[in-house]
Amino acid sequence: VTRCPAGGAEVEMAELYVKPGNKARGWNDPPQFSYGLQTQTGGPKRSPLTKRVAAPQDGSPRASETSGPPPMGPPLPSSKAPRLPPVGSCPASSVEPMGFPDIESEALIEDVLRPLEQALEDCRGHTRKQVCDDISRRLALLQEQWAGGKLSIPVKKRMAILVQELLNHRWDAADDIHRSLMVDHVTEVSQWMVGVKRLIAEKRSLSSVEETNEEKSEAAAEIQTIPGFQEAQ
Amino acid sequence: MTTYLEFIQQNEERDGVRFSWNLWPSSRLEATRMVVPLACLLTPLKERPDLPPVQYEPVVCSRPTCKAVLNPLCQVDYQAKLWACNFCFQRNQFPPAYAGISEVNQPAELMAQFSTIEYVVQRGPQLPLIFLYVVDTCLEDDDLQALQESLQMSLSLLPPETLVGLITFGRMVQVHELSCEGISKSYVFRGTKDLTAKQIQDMLGLSKPAMPTQQTRPVQPQEQAFVSSRFLQPIHKIDMTFTDLLGELQRDPWPVTQGKRPLRSTGVALSIAVGLLEVTFPNTGARIMLFTGGPPTQGPGMVVGDELKVPIRSWHDIEKDNARFMKKAMKHYEMLANRTAANGHCIDIYACALDQTGLLEMKCCTNLTGGHMVMGDSFNTSLFKQTFQRIFSKDFNGDFRMAFGATLEVKTSRELKVAGAIGPCVSLNAKGSCVSENEIGVGGTSQWKICSLDPTSTLGIYFEVINQPSAPIPQGSRGAIQFVTQYQHSSTQKRIRVTTIARNWADVQSQLQLIEAAFDQEAAAVLMARLGVFRAESEEGPDVLRWLDRQLIRLCQKFGQYNKEDPTSFRLSDAFSLYPQFMFHLRRSPFLQVFNNSPDESSYYRHHFARQDLTQSLIMIQPILYSYSFHGPPEPVLLDSSSILADRILLMDTFFQIVIYLGETIAQWQKAGYQDMPEYENFKHLLQAPLDDAQEILQARFPMPRYVHTEHGGSQARFLLSKVNPSQTHNNLYPWGQETGAPILTDDVSLQVFMDHLKKLAVSSAC
Repeated sequence: VTRCPAGGAEVEMAELYVKPGNKARGWNDPPQFSYGLQTQTGGPKRSPLTKRVAAPQDGSPRASETSGPPPMGPPLPSSKAPRLPPVGSCPASSVEPMGFPDIESEALIEDVLRPLEQALEDCRGHTRKQVCDDISRRLALLQEQWAGGKLSIPVKKRMAILVQELLNHRWDAADDIHRSLMVDHVTEVSQWMVGVKRLIAEKRSLSSVEETNEEKSEAAAEIQTIPGFQEAQ
Repeated sequence: MTTYLEFIQQNEERDGVRFSWNLWPSSRLEATRMVVPLACLLTPLKERPDLPPVQYEPVVCSRPTCKAVLNPLCQVDYQAKLWACNFCFQRNQFPPAYAGISEVNQPAELMAQFSTIEYVVQRGPQLPLIFLYVVDTCLEDDDLQALQESLQMSLSLLPPETLVGLITFGRMVQVHELSCEGISKSYVFRGTKDLTAKQIQDMLGLSKPAMPTQQTRPVQPQEQAFVSSRFLQPIHKIDMTFTDLLGELQRDPWPVTQGKRPLRSTGVALSIAVGLLEVTFPNTGARIMLFTGGPPTQGPGMVVGDELKVPIRSWHDIEKDNARFMKKAMKHYEMLANRTAANGHCIDIYACALDQTGLLEMKCCTNLTGGHMVMGDSFNTSLFKQTFQRIFSKDFNGDFRMAFGATLEVKTSRELKVAGAIGPCVSLNAKGSCVSENEIGVGGTSQWKICSLDPTSTLGIYFEVINQPSAPIPQGSRGAIQFVTQYQHSSTQKRIRVTTIARNWADVQSQLQLIEAAFDQEAAAVLMARLGVFRAESEEGPDVLRWLDRQLIRLCQKFGQYNKEDPTSFRLSDAFSLYPQFMFHLRRSPFLQVFNNSPDESSYYRHHFARQDLTQSLIMIQPILYSYSFHGPPEPVLLDSSSILADRILLMDTFFQIVIYLGETIAQWQKAGYQDMPEYENFKHLLQAPLDDAQEILQARFPMPRYVHTEHGGSQARFLLSKVNPSQTHNNLYPWGQETGAPILTDDVSLQVFMDHLKKLAVSSAC
């Protein structure tokens, strides 16, 4: 349960949180970092804690004791000891994971499902029927779980963002949100997310095919026999 | 002094190399008297964001027995377009593409700053990566579900072209056929009978008449496509059915009666996995990932019987020669490991259980193939889940931090020979003029195979100076070593990384002080520790400790300053000052002491010690201890009981554990709730600071360490108390006239006693 600074853009891209490990099953289980924190790159890294103090050559611990400033005493209720600045770059603040701006209200089921279903319709005819049916089945599962109140707010919100990225043809961004959901919320999403993942992939390949077609418009009539598009055979 | 430290650091950053000695003794006899061998820690694929690979192939020396790669140490005649090999002195013509070179127009590989350079080889087929999951189904429901989810998640982290396959096992072994048709079908094998590669091939219908005659030729992907397709499929084709298949995995259906262990056919399952990849994708990057929740209990490779009343072997049983299945099981897994290494594949073991799972017997599977070994309590822990996620972490280019099928070749100038290597590798038995007759570690070769490695994988490489005093080396001349690592990059490109280094020779008689100043005590400690741990795998513990002690005493005799028979006069120069305490902590470490560890734990600790880079290895030998207080910013403190003070918070990193310890007063303040009062915000910050630092370590470490948060008097404080030097014990309470520090209840010798004995022995003329 912690916090970390994040730029405005990153807040949208990934959840940044740390939650405690599973102490019931694992002895001294370490905390769990969200996908966003694990893949976070850049940012000022503090220098790693790898320094050592050399023991004096007679091995006695006293001699090498580093002489620091005199102790300031315990923080007795009356004392106004100067504030010790925190060590890290992350100032302690909220306890809640701050994944999302609060201005955004809860995502609506139609806003997520309809575009996904539309995307699936676009793929029909290009993608093998069985694959489409498989995707369709998973979308139905998503709908069922959403309607049944089984999905948490972060998952719903991130799905809404994923759909936006999909509509804007930002395939990599959509794919990355799918990945973050699989890592952070696998229990909730594992059953149907693979359908969404496949849909992103099919839509991406469809759009690249369409782009190729636009380039050589004379070949447009032969859309059925595009080489390399084996899924459709 | 600073200059040498800088030199060492620069070399490590640029070339991924740390040498025990940075000035080399110029004769064989003198070199042996230096006690610590001339050796280096090499991180072949050290991450170099500033080094983009060049898109051409290396130019090699034309002498067939040499084939060294053109490098900045070669003499070049720009007029005649010739270069002289700095290893064998052969004169070589530059290839036609180099016709335009001149003093002002040099290719990168001749420039001094490219002592390490990476080439991309354009030839050859681009083969996909292969991940074969081998999954134990004798798990509790909770564990099985967590594992299923982790495996499903991994499909999202892998590139879509990756080939995946699934073998599950319990009492039986099932090889799952993968198709996009949604009908699952599997081949079932008995778990009690070992099968040869040929039998597995026949039973799975993988035999093809043309295959056996083409052993040496890399198999073309086209001809492989058909046979492998049923068991290994690209993720993008089968992700939905594979996700379902994983989701539908059931606990092993065979009933387990009370007092019994489930029957687990790990040995046969691994054997089938190895055989499947052997016939379908030899010499292609592939990982076999074994997930197991308990010991193998039947068939070849069984470690313990199914009767729960007979416990799995302990160190005591092994010493008493009472481990019934151990030797036979080890033989089985060694056979599999060697086959896997020969095929260029690797085996990972993810063992999650509260009791031992047989890592001792199976360790060679990971150690010989460069695979990962992960040990946890349950698959439903953050320790497992995150460690597993980190297997798929990416570098600054967005490429996986994993490489496959590497061969490392070492070439030396003629005053040197290579004696051996210690690390996650196997010998390729390449004899040649630069191979020493004296083996250190895995020797008798100048080439090793590393089936899987990542940017931190590090080998210890040991050398022998062979120059005779009768043939003195001219003043100011240098010795050279070239490391050539060929590997399959995770982008499936074939790449070659070449590092060429040189160091000056020095005459021990006249330049001993210079040689001393060029000693890298950190590298030396890790290299000696690797030798010690390597020996500990085959020798009795006390023998290894005695050997280490003898080496330390000899080193102190050679490089200490003292008057004979006067221990109080003994001094070591700065370059050696930390070395004795590294050895002191190494002697107490779990790498050499098996007391309080199970055989599995010892295997696990040693596995990681034999592959980490210098910084991490040193943390394992002597843990890092930082102190947080109101007296100033956090500071490193002695790993000593005197550092345990009431008004401090300590953060200890042992690599495998991160421990935060609140001193007595701090713990009382926390209980009193001062951190919640606005006027004591500074106390809140003080409590938070070590947590933030610990988080930083946790975020980068592989595998995930255990995380201990404890306080004065807490039961888990033992993790700290067992690591610090016991300078104050119940026997010598307050000997330093101070009332600080925490006495440790132990009869272990302290660093002070150790040093006293060391000095006595070093100055004694009897030794």
